Amino acid sequence: MPREAEPSLNEKQFVTQALQENLRLDGRQLDQYRPLELTFGDQYGVADVTLGKTRVLAKATAEVTVPYIDRPLDGIFTIATELSPMTSPAFEVNRPTETEVLLSRLLEKTVRRSGALDTESLCLVAGQKCWSVRVDVHVVSHDGGLTDAACVAVVAALRHFRKPDTSMEAGRLTVYTPAEREPVPLSWLHSPLCVTWSFFGEDGETAVLDATWLEEQVRVASCTVSLNKHGEICQIAKLGGMPVDAVVLLQCTSVALVKVKEFSDLLDRRLAEDLKKREKGGFMAELRAENDR
Amino acid sequence: MTATTAPKAALGVLPRSDGSAKYSHAGYTLTASVNGPIEAQRRDEHAYEAHVEVIVRPAAGVGGTRERHLESLLQSSLAQLILVKNFPRSLIQVVLQIEDSPENDYVNTKLVQASLNFAIMPALVQTAILALLSAGVPMRATATATAVAVVHQDGAKKMVVDPSPREVETASSVHVLAFTSHNGLLLAESEGDFTVGEWDDVYETAKEICCRSTPAKEGTAMVLDDEEPSATDMRQFLRSTMESKVAADLHWK
Amino acid sequence: MATGHPIVLPGETIDPSLIPSHPKNPLRLGPGLRHIPPTDIVPTVAGQLITNPAKNSMWIEYNSNRYIPTPSDLILTQILRSTTDAYLCLLSPHTAPATLPHLAFEGATKKTRPVLQPGQLVYARVALANKHMDAELECVSAATGKADGLGPVGNPAAGSGGCAFDVSLGFARRLLMARSRAEGGVGVLEMLAGEEGGGLAFETAVGRNGRVWVGSESARTVVLVGRALQETDRGGLGLEGQRRLVRRLVREMR
Repeated sequence: MPREAEPSLNEKQFVTQALQENLRLDGRQLDQYRPLELTFGDQYGVADVTLGKTRVLAKATAEVTVPYIDRPLDGIFTIATELSPMTSPAFEVNRPTETEVLLSRLLEKTVRRSGALDTESLCLVAGQKCWSVRVDVHVVSHDGGLTDAACVAVVAALRHFRKPDTSMEAGRLTVYTPAEREPVPLSWLHSPLCVTWSFFGEDGETAVLDATWLEEQVRVASCTVSLNKHGEICQIAKLGGMPVDAVVLLQCTSVALVKVKEFSDLLDRRLAEDLKKREKGGFMAELRAENDR
Repeated sequence: MTATTAPKAALGVLPRSDGSAKYSHAGYTLTASVNGPIEAQRRDEHAYEAHVEVIVRPAAGVGGTRERHLESLLQSSLAQLILVKNFPRSLIQVVLQIEDSPENDYVNTKLVQASLNFAIMPALVQTAILALLSAGVPMRATATATAVAVVHQDGAKKMVVDPSPREVETASSVHVLAFTSHNGLLLAESEGDFTVGEWDDVYETAKEICCRSTPAKEGTAMVLDDEEPSATDMRQFLRSTMESKVAADLHWK
Repeated sequence: MATGHPIVLPGETIDPSLIPSHPKNPLRLGPGLRHIPPTDIVPTVAGQLITNPAKNSMWIEYNSNRYIPTPSDLILTQILRSTTDAYLCLLSPHTAPATLPHLAFEGATKKTRPVLQPGQLVYARVALANKHMDAELECVSAATGKADGLGPVGNPAAGSGGCAFDVSLGFARRLLMARSRAEGGVGVLEMLAGEEGGGLAFETAVGRNGRVWVGSESARTVVLVGRALQETDRGGLGLEGQRRLVRRLVREMR
């Protein structure tokens, strides 16, 4: 597949020059995000996040399986990230690129390793049966800021998700279908979110939030901070690139907290709105089911 | 359970691809992107025509043989419609992402190995066609598709258009048919037991939905709609979607 | 929409009464139409059918994103690399490169040829385009031997590279119309340079492949012009909307 073409010399030079004058091509401030939108699907566990022209879709699913032998008391939780040719024809099916690997590592570290989902609650019968929760991340359109958008989508999908209800009676495990019993939410502990800073200029002195794809191609370094709204940092990733002043990095982290609080609020608000809508819908559905019989 | 909602579509939803469409009908929601003509890989390059690549991506889990089968069906149908000879040695790439599909409330599905419901086929065809039109890829004709299930209930036989997953499960056979805008049968795929007579009935039902003569001039559309308000006229839907797209594109005229 | 210009879909039958029939001139088919011998004329894309009885021509008007090279189109291209006798250039992402011979510049000979860095933007004309071959470009008029404004745009090494902006193909075509304000309904560039924009000084090179280069002394002006172009295109703004946009942007970016 043809590789993604680099931006032209003119664009590269201009983006850097303009940023030195505090100008961005889309007229944003340096620390301004593009409008972030979050919507949920008809089903549980489908979240659709748009950040400017970037769009990420996440879908959570669950099924009953056998737990890992070395962790008999834990359920299984996986995040699957794949960039399809829909994102750009430069991505091939079943051939991971660097972007894709980095994205899935960051999501893994942010959401899974930070213990956002209580995996012990996914255990059904120790060593025999557990839930396997899986989130599929689909990058539908890529215009930079992939990590930040994908992280919101994953967290939103998991918090929106409902898994089938189960019961244990005399050593017999019963998994109820949605028609028998209303599904139950996952046991969710905290919501870590990512904020990515990009650095420009010869010494990386200009720090910019939410870089577009063009800006990402021109930047000299980047740093992703993951934290929750309580200010607990889950991970910081600065993968190579130009060295950045530690003091600048500290400032970036404190700004990141402000942004994460904003995103968390948006998430809570959207989840509450959706719940309200569903309560009405659920009631209607029940009435209809009654009529069917 | 019968989700016979009217189809909905939005074009140009993905700003970074050449053409795109989001389509929802009967509980299915899909997004398609079209890129092309672009440079083909050596192994796909054809000296005289464009290679049409179709990729179907399930909402959850990894694609399996089921998706590959659907891809090959779509690929051969779309390659018939696209004027592939116009772009030798190039590639026209159609990616279909499934976002939502109706769930069967009566079973717990295993999802890690995704297996697509057969009834999603018409939505796949429809979305791909809309995305191709939005990309302005030259085509011989357009196409419309529908799914029909034959359900035996209490000894009586019934045709169900756009069946729900529950109906697919209980149906004795499911058929997917696509017709070109020249009323030619483009695709016919069936599952289950059925007789020749049943298939003929299915064919007539599908043709009625897909090929209702497009009202060519002066508002005969209204008259037709009044006569049969129940069934959706796919061709009319395609046309009105494209009309609004073109009108928006050419607002400056 | 006027009834004389119906919207057509691929494969639909065109009303024979709409096909212009000039007694002498041959019928000319433009983009989006194909002729199936002996007598059928069939649209291949969805768009509006336009006919011009005076020129005995017809075509489909539509908008798209993927550029297909056509001879004598002006395009904005990017140098990928140099071979022994030509530069390989990118017309649109993920497509096969077009060639720009080293000798296709004004006054270029085997000894004195322009040296262009990979990544440099060049304003060029499509000299040759054929579906079986990669397109060939030129930066000189074959008839006069003059550049006529074609050639590399901006000088990134000197810090005055300007910037390129992506627009839809339909919008690029409207910008390139001889009377773009009257026929194409775009006056945004005139407004920026005129009264509404407070007489901004900038230069542009509009490529038919949907790329517009904007150059100016001030980076602020480049960003302003670029944003005005992209927002006019995406928002589908009319002349009045463009005027309001220009006023708003000038106020915002002061």
